[in-house]
Amino acid sequence: MENLLGGLQILMQWQNFLIIPVGLAIGIVVGAIPGLTSDLGIILCIPLTYGMEPTMAILMLLAIYCGGTYGGSITAILINTPGTSANAATLLDGYPMTLRGQAFKALQMALYASTIGGLLSAFALLFFAPVIAKVALLFGPAEYFALAVFGLSVIAGVSNKNFFKGLIGACLGLFISIIGVDNISGTARFTLGSNRLMSGIDLIIALIGLFAISEIVMKSEYNPLTDHKTIAASAITKDKITKDEYRRCMKPIGIGSLVGIIIGATPGTGGGLAAFISYNQVKQSSKHPETFGKGEIEGVAASEAANNGACGATMIPMLTLGVPGDGATAILMGAFMIHGMIPGPTMFAEHGNILYAIMLGLIVVNVFMYLMGKGFTRFYANITRIPYELLASIILAFCIAGAYSTNNRIYDIYVIMIVGIIAYIMRRLDFTLVPVLLGIVLGQLAEKNLRRAMIISDGSLSIFVTRPISCLFIALAVGSVLLFAIKGYKAWKREKTAAAEVVVEAE
Amino acid sequence: MKIKYNSEIISGLIFLIFGIVLWIMIPSQIKTMESSAITAQTFPRIIIGGLVLFSAGLLLQGIFGKEKKVLVIMKETFQTEQAKKELRSLVYILILIAYCFLVKPLGYLVSTLLLVLAVMLFYRARKWYFYAIPLGTVCIIYLVFKMALRVSLPEISLF
Repeated sequence: MENLLGGLQILMQWQNFLIIPVGLAIGIVVGAIPGLTSDLGIILCIPLTYGMEPTMAILMLLAIYCGGTYGGSITAILINTPGTSANAATLLDGYPMTLRGQAFKALQMALYASTIGGLLSAFALLFFAPVIAKVALLFGPAEYFALAVFGLSVIAGVSNKNFFKGLIGACLGLFISIIGVDNISGTARFTLGSNRLMSGIDLIIALIGLFAISEIVMKSEYNPLTDHKTIAASAITKDKITKDEYRRCMKPIGIGSLVGIIIGATPGTGGGLAAFISYNQVKQSSKHPETFGKGEIEGVAASEAANNGACGATMIPMLTLGVPGDGATAILMGAFMIHGMIPGPTMFAEHGNILYAIMLGLIVVNVFMYLMGKGFTRFYANITRIPYELLASIILAFCIAGAYSTNNRIYDIYVIMIVGIIAYIMRRLDFTLVPVLLGIVLGQLAEKNLRRAMIISDGSLSIFVTRPISCLFIALAVGSVLLFAIKGYKAWKREKTAAAEVVVEAE
Repeated sequence: MKIKYNSEIISGLIFLIFGIVLWIMIPSQIKTMESSAITAQTFPRIIIGGLVLFSAGLLLQGIFGKEKKVLVIMKETFQTEQAKKELRSLVYILILIAYCFLVKPLGYLVSTLLLVLAVMLFYRARKWYFYAIPLGTVCIIYLVFKMALRVSLPEISLF
């Protein structure tokens, strides 16, 4: 209660109420531009937060995260291209509604559903995070290491189609995290004789290279003449949601929010998966499932409530256990670290007031999101007209300035380019970058706790299986590895059988 | 020349070689005097060992498990639509590399203006304001970082 009131006091500073709309506007604009994601928006804005108070900085980044998740629905509905991966399910019914002249109605429903999902998720974070953090306070080094192994194995499995690729990505991320001087022994590691690498590779520098530069190079195939989709202003009609439609959408919004919270709180998932599960649940329980996919407003409500419902919930494992729920929260975890706070159970004891201010701030973010969405829907629709080539060059200029400002050295500009080009090659080889990012974020935590645990146990590995919670996480990690291996084997067998059938048919 | 491949074979091979090279480099890159059971080398060995193991797994999966594409290298191969796309990506990467060489002598403002110009030419932008907007934005970014954020972005230092 004391922390709650302390948090409220910090939140009530006028600067916070100024920065939230700014973050939301950036998030919605970034989310509404196909090819730019809220992840990228957060990364590009981290350098701008260096001089801010931690609460203000994190609230701005959170506003970008929530705004981006909502903003992605705008392009999904208007031009059949989801602004972010979390909005992929929205286009199933959102775009058919646009084709039927109900674009404004779909956009309004996306806003209502996103706001309700986001608010419920923010409350879930506020109530559950402190409780879980209290339990997590019982964790020792062995439990922390086991948790990091579990987090990495689950995320490596979920985020990549190929489990091996996910694990290789995680190893690469962990490798990047060990570069520089070892904190415990003071030994230089993989610095290649360069003094500049002594402090390692900064998280923000790695983030800009991994996500921003690689994305820009990926888009080098973009052809302005054929790939730029846009919408006429006249397509945004003035039709309003009827009372009956509001009533019908209450259940999908409720299901979506709940699914979003549960899925979001599970490491390695995120809003995109939550939206699809919620959409299927609502479709299956509907009395008229045949209307889904043909412009059903309940479909838009279900998916948008779920993806924003995941926003707050993905913060639960990150804030309480130090294990991010998805890519965006991994980036946010990095932002917390940059501002001197290490996510995990001890953070509630060390920075309780700030954390409560941030969790309460998430509620304010969602209220502002509603107000800004309500007033500017038509304006956001025009964002889709901005040509990508303009954005690409502006983002590049911004990335370079952001990278340089981190340590005031040109060397970091070289690093973002090298990391970006390597990340581009990895993406072309069907790797996803989230495991790499998690490896970087969790690397130091994993190593520090492995070494502490080994010192406690006098060099015996048995500590990881004799302590019940640690043993549980290790078992879960092994279980998930086996599960993904069996899944992969089954998929391979199916592929082989299908190929054999094709050969027989051809003969 | 005919080559059979898939992304698993290519990535498995690349990371296997990378992992082995890193493993060999460990003694020279991590010189530790510690004598305890766990040293500064332990965690890197686990990670790099994992990298080698998983890359070998991926390579084997690519060789035995996955369907392979057949690439026939002839003169015409370089004229296909796909080859042209690859070439565009390569040109883009070369632009970024060239920027790295220019940023130190020319400073942020001049080199980034040139970079933006190169990107707009790369996308074959025709309207004048397509050039004016990003070029103007670079100047604004330069001023915002310098005046508001007190970050002096690199200046020209030709000598």
